[in-house]
Amino acid sequence: MMEKVISVENCDLFYGDFQALKDVSLPIYRHKVTALIGPSGCGKSTFLRTLNRMNDLIASCKVKGSIQFNHEETYGNGYDVIELRKKVGMVFQKPNPFPMSIFDNIAFGPRQQGLKDKVKLKEIVEKALKQAALWDEVHDRLNQSALSLSGGQQQRLCIARAIAMEPEVILMDEPTSALDPIATQKIENLIEELKKDYTIVIVTHSMQQAARISDYTAFFYMGELLEFDDTKTLFVSPKLKQTEDYVTGRFG
Amino acid sequence: MRKTRLSDRLLQISTMLSTLVSIVGLGLIFQFVLSRGLSLLSIDLFTSNYYAHNYIAELKPYEEMTYSMPNFDDEDVYVIERYGLALRQGIDLAGNGVVEVEYVHPDSPFNTMISAEVGVDTVDMNANNIIDRISYVDHPTSLSRRGAEVMASELNDPQRVINQVFFADLGGGIRGSLITTMWLIFMTLLMALPMGVLTAVYFNEFAPVNMLTKTMRTFIETLTGVPSIIYGLLGISVFVPLTVALTPAVNTNLIAGSMTLAVIILPIIIRTTEESLRVVPQDHRAASLALGANKTQTTFKVVLPQATQGILTSTFLAIGRIIGESAALIFVLGAIVRDRVSIFEQSTSLAVHIWSMMTDEPANIALSSTIALLILAVVLILNVSIKLSVYLFEKRGKQ
Repeated sequence: MMEKVISVENCDLFYGDFQALKDVSLPIYRHKVTALIGPSGCGKSTFLRTLNRMNDLIASCKVKGSIQFNHEETYGNGYDVIELRKKVGMVFQKPNPFPMSIFDNIAFGPRQQGLKDKVKLKEIVEKALKQAALWDEVHDRLNQSALSLSGGQQQRLCIARAIAMEPEVILMDEPTSALDPIATQKIENLIEELKKDYTIVIVTHSMQQAARISDYTAFFYMGELLEFDDTKTLFVSPKLKQTEDYVTGRFG
Repeated sequence: MRKTRLSDRLLQISTMLSTLVSIVGLGLIFQFVLSRGLSLLSIDLFTSNYYAHNYIAELKPYEEMTYSMPNFDDEDVYVIERYGLALRQGIDLAGNGVVEVEYVHPDSPFNTMISAEVGVDTVDMNANNIIDRISYVDHPTSLSRRGAEVMASELNDPQRVINQVFFADLGGGIRGSLITTMWLIFMTLLMALPMGVLTAVYFNEFAPVNMLTKTMRTFIETLTGVPSIIYGLLGISVFVPLTVALTPAVNTNLIAGSMTLAVIILPIIIRTTEESLRVVPQDHRAASLALGANKTQTTFKVVLPQATQGILTSTFLAIGRIIGESAALIFVLGAIVRDRVSIFEQSTSLAVHIWSMMTDEPANIALSSTIALLILAVVLILNVSIKLSVYLFEKRGKQ
């Protein structure tokens, strides 16, 4: 029996009157890659953002149902959202490094938690960059602006920035959609490496990417979770006609 | 068809004509100020006092000798080799003929004299001082109104022994107003900059979007267009009594002036800062929050540093406004030119100095134009600084 890091039960989400998620139930297994696929507007990104409560930023957003992280209700009363976000990191669609040095970008998270020890910060930065497979490319220019990096490097920097907080889960919202094929391949290889230490949930528009890198795949359609299975099963013998149509590229 | 073409052409021509008229209008201001003011522009103007000061002095015992003088290739300059002194026939700011000191030899007895004033031992005569008259033992006095040539020839007369020298500082300098202006810039920014930036941060990052905050925003934007004399009224009814109550000030003063200016530039700083906060990508806020930073940390560590450029721009704009402000300051700072500036007393900024001189009888257009030239130059430098800082920030961001 595999361990669930996050467990979502009967989750409904509303933007004002519009229901963006309908009765979604989904487990996220530890040290696995879970891919969320589906056509645009199906709610997969919205779902991803409920996992670290980034939807809180939208005033009209309301969530019902149960979302448990390590068996604690993340939307429960008195739950510390800052603690949740420390444990559930996020990488965004477009690379979004802060306009600071490479070092300061990665040290940002730990510093905001009050860490000032320079030796420790250096250790954290080096470890995160190595894990994000960026160390060899930038170790001699850590003080340069992060904006001087290429798009692919910037995205790996953002992954390193998330890793520096030593999270348990990393959420990735279409992390390669703004990158060229070579940079994409590097990120995919990186995800393969990272799942040894982290649990990864990735939203992707690319069927091939989901098939290549994920262990589990969830197919969303019109705010509903239509099918969830291990990736091989879902792609080779989907239970639903809609899933089959989507993964074979007949719509979407 | 033809009619539309004609009206199109007319519209096009009217844009060009308007541009031409605007350029000519602006050019005329520069031309006027340059032609009237350039002649008075000198370092002395910035370092000397506005008010002339009169001195009476006697010569120390000295040895008769002939000084070697530099060559003055100027027919208005008269050399007195006996005293190591050169005089120039000049014209003062009001257009009257005066005898100016052109040159004093370092060993000249005129260089350091015994002051006839009580409590002052010695007094120095410097180039640009004006000689009023020189009295002699048993000889009639040399008067400046008879001209530098006559005075020089009388001084060169070996029969005459000098009794007393009556001379004066030139005056007409703007040192005091320059110092006042710097005080105004410093104190106004000290008050308005942090307040304005924090207000902008509140509106853009923390304030809920509702009727109240929307109304407050509109209100602040309206304040940008309010004529400054109305702020002057606010200053004289609120800030002047306040400073009189709390400080040694007894009248309108520099602190009240700075407070009034702070209110005037607050809307500028708030608006410019807010504009630069608004263009900070939402993604950066999201990334910071996703890293477990709270709202305050995100605002002050990620968002605000990215607005540095805008804050700098607003600072430059504000300095320009402070230097150019006159109407409000006449109420709260006063219009009396001072050489010794105190923040608890009245004085004039450069712009008010112009106003003060133009209301004099006769109006001093030459010096006013020189100050105007100075103000124009500073404003020009500020605008170039804004452009330069934008360029440098963009360049640094990419490194």
